[in-house]
Amino acid sequence: MNDMMNIPEDNQTSLERVLCYLQGKTPQRIACFPLILNHAARVLGIPIGEYNRNPELMGKAHIAAYRRYGNDLVLIFSTTSTLAEAMGTKLAFFDEDAPQIDVPLIQELDDIKKVIIPDFSRDGRLPCYLEATEMAVQEIGAETCVSTVFAGPLTTAAALRPIELFVRDLHRNKERVHELLEICTQSGIMFIDEILKRNSLPIIVEPIGTGSLISPRHFREFVTPYLKRMADHIHAHGSGMPAVLHICGNSRPNWKPMLEADWNIWSIDSPVDIGEAREIAGSHVCLVGNLTTTNLLKGTSAQIDEEARVICEKAMGSPGGFILGSGCEVPFDTPPENIDALILAARKYGRFDQ
Amino acid sequence: MPRLREEILNDLADNVLNMREDLAVKAAKEAVEAGIDALDAINNGLVVGMNQAGELYDQEEYFVPELVICSDALYLGLDILKPHIKAEESEKEISCVIGVIEGDTHDIGKNLVKIMLDVSGFEIHDLGRNVPLADFVEKAKEVKASLICLSTLMTTTMDSMATVIEMLKEEGIRDQLKVMVGGGPISQAFADSIGADGYASNASQAVTVAKNLCNVLTTA
Repeated sequence: MNDMMNIPEDNQTSLERVLCYLQGKTPQRIACFPLILNHAARVLGIPIGEYNRNPELMGKAHIAAYRRYGNDLVLIFSTTSTLAEAMGTKLAFFDEDAPQIDVPLIQELDDIKKVIIPDFSRDGRLPCYLEATEMAVQEIGAETCVSTVFAGPLTTAAALRPIELFVRDLHRNKERVHELLEICTQSGIMFIDEILKRNSLPIIVEPIGTGSLISPRHFREFVTPYLKRMADHIHAHGSGMPAVLHICGNSRPNWKPMLEADWNIWSIDSPVDIGEAREIAGSHVCLVGNLTTTNLLKGTSAQIDEEARVICEKAMGSPGGFILGSGCEVPFDTPPENIDALILAARKYGRFDQ
Repeated sequence: MPRLREEILNDLADNVLNMREDLAVKAAKEAVEAGIDALDAINNGLVVGMNQAGELYDQEEYFVPELVICSDALYLGLDILKPHIKAEESEKEISCVIGVIEGDTHDIGKNLVKIMLDVSGFEIHDLGRNVPLADFVEKAKEVKASLICLSTLMTTTMDSMATVIEMLKEEGIRDQLKVMVGGGPISQAFADSIGADGYASNASQAVTVAKNLCNVLTTA
C-alpha cells in the first residue's frame, strides 16, 4: 500500500489517455495495454471454448475484464486463424483452449482458386467477432479504446496452406504466394471496413512475419507491400485512427521493412529490446510492449513490477510515444494480481505529471 | 576425366547450402559413380553444407524457409547415398525422441531441431506434434533413448514438460536419459525449475546442448 500512496489518482479516463497519443498531447501517465484476449473468459468465469464461439459471451467477457482491470485497450480476438477460417480453413475447437488449425484449405497449389473473399455477415466466426465488437463499443466504448484484432495477409495465407508447404512455397511458388496474399489483403481490407463501421480500432497481427521465422528479404517481398496497403487504407478511412501492428517473437531482423509498411503503433514481444526498438522507431512509431508473458503467468507481482520498471526506463520519452504492455497475449491463467501489477507499474514509472 | 573427391564433396556441401536441390542430387549421383564412400560423401559433403546453413541461421542470414529448403536438398542427396552405405560402416547413433507437447500443434521449431540433430549423428524418433505425454515415455523405453527433446510454443502446455519428467521418474528411467526443452515461452530458468537437463533457444544451439548432454565430442 505504500506504493499506492505516492501515486496520483488518474484524472483521465482510459480513452482520454489513449487519445492523447493520437492528438500529440502528453497524457497524465502512459497508457497500459496488457493484451487480454482469451484471458477475458477467465474473468467472466466461462470456458475458453464458449468465449470464442458465442458473441454475447465474448463481448461480456471483455466488458468484465475492462471493469476488473481498467486496461486501456480492449481486444476482441480469439485466434490468428479467424480470417482464414472464414475463407475455408477448418479449425479444431476445445473447451479450454483457443481454436487451432485442423485442416488448411489449400492442400494442392491449385486449391488457391477455391479461396474467396468471405461474407462478413455469415462465414466462420466473423459475425461473432463483429457482434462482440458492437457490444463492447456500445457498453464501454465511451470510456476505453475498443479494438478488433485479426491476422495480416502473410499469417492468414499461412493458415490457409499447411505451414510446412507454405514455407517452401515462399521459395518455389512465389507467384502463387502473391496470388494468395492478394486475396488475403483484399479480405483484410474489407474486414478493416467492417471494424471501422462499428467504431472499433482494427489491429493487425502478423506473427508469421516475425524475424524468428522469415528474413527481411522475404518480409520486403511478401509482407511490406500488403501491410502497406492495409495501413494506407486505415489512414484514408479510419477517421484519424492509427494503424496498429503486433508482431510476436524476435521481430528485430525485420524492423526496417516493417518501417516501410508505414504503421503508427508497433506492439513488440519480449525477445526484443525495447531500447533498441526505440532507436529504429524514432518519432515515426509509438511502441507498445514488451513484458514477458511467461512471467505474467509464472512470476510474482514484485517480479512484474521490476521487469516493467526496466522497460519503462528504456522506453519512456521515446519520441514516437510509448505504451507499457505485455509482449504477447496475456496467458489464460495469469493471476489477476500480476495484471494489476503491470497496470500499477504504468502508473508508477510512466508519469508525465511529476 | 572424373573429378576429384574434394570437388564432389564441395559440390555436395555447396548445393545444400545454396538450396539447389537438383544439383545436390546430381552431385550425390556423381559421388556414387566416382566410387566415393557413401558415408564420406554424407558426412564430409551434405552434412557440412547443412551445418554451414545452420551457422547462417545463427547469424540471422538464413531463416526458417531457407533452412527447410537446405534440408530438402540434404535429404534428396541422402536418398541417393544411403543405399550405398556399407553395413559394417554404420555408426551406432545416439537414440533421441522428439515431439511437441500435447495441446500444441506448432512444430516448425521442433522440425528444425530434428533436422539439425539428425545431421549431427542422432537417431531421431519423431513423435510429431500434439503428442500425448505418455507417448514420450513409451517411445523412450522402446528405443532405449538417451535423449528426449520436448518442444512447445504455448504457455498453456509448458507445464506438461514437468509432467513428462515426473513420468520418467515414476517409470524409473529418469537417470538413464537426458531431457532437453525448448520453445517460445521456455527459458533456462524454467528448464532448471522443472529439472530438465538442458535448454536451447534455437535449432543450432540445440545441437551443441544435446552433444554436451550426451558427451559427444564435437568434430567441427
